[in-house]
Amino acid sequence: MADNCFAGVDVGSLSTDVVIINASGKCLAEVVIATGLNGGETAQKAFDQSLNQAGLAQEQIKAVTATGYGRASVAFATGKTTEISCHGVGAHHLFPNTGTVIDIGGQDSKVIQVDERGRMLDFTMNDKCAAGTGRFLEVMAHRLELGLNELSDPLNIKGETVQISSTCTVFAESEVISLLAKQTPREQIVNGLQRSIVNRIWSMVTSIGIHGEVTLTGGVANNQGLVLVLEEKLGKKLNVPENPQTVGALGAAHIALRGYHK
Amino acid sequence: MIPNRKKYLKQQAQNGQKIMGVLPALYPRELLWAFDILPAEIWDPPGDILRANAHLQATICPIVKRGLEFILKESASVNAGYLFPHTCDSLQNLATQVKDLIGTSQPVYTFYNPKAQFNKTTRRYYLDLLQDFQTTLETKFGPLNRAKLMAACELGSKIDIRWLTLQNARRADQLELTNPEYFQLVRAGEYLKPEDYLTLLNQVEVQAGPVHQSNRRLLLSGILPPHEETLSFLDELSVTIVADDLLSGSRRFPITQLDTPVDPFEYLTDRHFLLPPCSTRASNLKERIHHLQKMISESQVHGVLFNIIKFCEPELFDHRFLVKTLKQNRVPLLSLETELLPGISGQDRTRIEAFIEMLDEQVSG
Repeated sequence: MADNCFAGVDVGSLSTDVVIINASGKCLAEVVIATGLNGGETAQKAFDQSLNQAGLAQEQIKAVTATGYGRASVAFATGKTTEISCHGVGAHHLFPNTGTVIDIGGQDSKVIQVDERGRMLDFTMNDKCAAGTGRFLEVMAHRLELGLNELSDPLNIKGETVQISSTCTVFAESEVISLLAKQTPREQIVNGLQRSIVNRIWSMVTSIGIHGEVTLTGGVANNQGLVLVLEEKLGKKLNVPENPQTVGALGAAHIALRGYHK
Repeated sequence: MIPNRKKYLKQQAQNGQKIMGVLPALYPRELLWAFDILPAEIWDPPGDILRANAHLQATICPIVKRGLEFILKESASVNAGYLFPHTCDSLQNLATQVKDLIGTSQPVYTFYNPKAQFNKTTRRYYLDLLQDFQTTLETKFGPLNRAKLMAACELGSKIDIRWLTLQNARRADQLELTNPEYFQLVRAGEYLKPEDYLTLLNQVEVQAGPVHQSNRRLLLSGILPPHEETLSFLDELSVTIVADDLLSGSRRFPITQLDTPVDPFEYLTDRHFLLPPCSTRASNLKERIHHLQKMISESQVHGVLFNIIKFCEPELFDHRFLVKTLKQNRVPLLSLETELLPGISGQDRTRIEAFIEMLDEQVSG
């Protein structure tokens, strides 16, 4: 049983993630639950589950860093840090040669440049529209009557494609409706949607530039079709963590650990 | 204590003061003062934009939209007409629309600032422009009193000198003002009578040494400062804006102190061409970057915050180049885009916090 443990709590728009690590940085628990109406309560619930998973008592957690849009609502946190910093730290911990982090979250997406020590050098973040975010994919999956897993199928991006707006979710959905009305095959529409989201991300990538290895974080990294399109655009392989959704919480836990030892 | 803009202007109008609504940004304020006209600048009047949208494209900046909305409301405080300086194409077109198409009960004046670098021709042009403006104002407000103009220039000069002192004190962290308080002070000059503004500036105490505990210092660039909530949020994060490159701020004050006015028109012309480089005057980009770099170095700031107004063409033309060059020179910067709405979005809070985290990491090494 570990005595000095540290937690990161990422209260995102779609999910709340908790990671607990020990003083050596070893991951002891990882929990993901849907963010409810009350971010603070959800955070507590996820935290309790993670303590259970790790077999720890709360007093063994020496520091908790909250992150994500709901970071201010985490009453038990000992510190808070933006998800931008946390994704940089988390990605660097998992892939030490990371120079660029692309985080595609539920309500926004970010591109973060980090140095060889995982310190943030520059970042950009979209927010004007859900285009280029996980929410965009959810809306489209619903419209196409597909599950997110089916939408992510890499086979969809092998064949023909159609062009879909990359600037607005609402207009993109209208385009999808028109395409369905024209009986365009669903795979082609999915292919077009994946490319649309990547085009949106790409404009942010080019504004920051690509440095070192590129690590993809956030729940959307589970979308294998999108990963393939993005790799095609980058011309190189992406680092995709086993649990991309919890990279922010992992980074937050490491920030808690660092802060404790300062 | 800074008088409330609306109440102050209402009171002035009730006292019989002539008030001219002035759209941004550069105009010979001293000439208006000499005609006993109080310029009340119209940058970002609050409220919803309702009627103006019917006359303007969706891609017009919110300053122009809010300006037209204000004009359409026919404010009782504006009783001496509206002045449209040539700041950008959108404001120039707005002048035409208001004058020739939409109409207003007030007379409409224009002032076509030169859009070229300083040389003999532009200097001559500006002198002629002042003469023409004087003639235009005389047809409505009677002959110009040269002694009054001279006194107005002297008063303007005192404001400029005091302002220069306060700017330097802010850089040295010798002003005990929060970020919102500092920019309220800057912006009070948009509507106070010059003598009231000078009194206000003179009341600001310059401390002997640094007053803020924070070592987080930023330079603010753009047209207007961010909304007060954003400025307060910067205070919460222990960030002090110690210098500005704002069109509504330091870009309207000469870089150096001018000699005491001798000939008013010569003085006003010299003053105009001694203003810092600005996108709305089509200043050379190299001059702009040089000026910014100088401010960054002299103010010892840790980074630059650009507050970009959506669809502001002149500023956006320069912004890309400025960002690219500053990044090449390893100056940390953050660009926020605003539609001049009240409050601060969660995303902007995250952007600002992340930027400060980035600065802290760089400072701590």
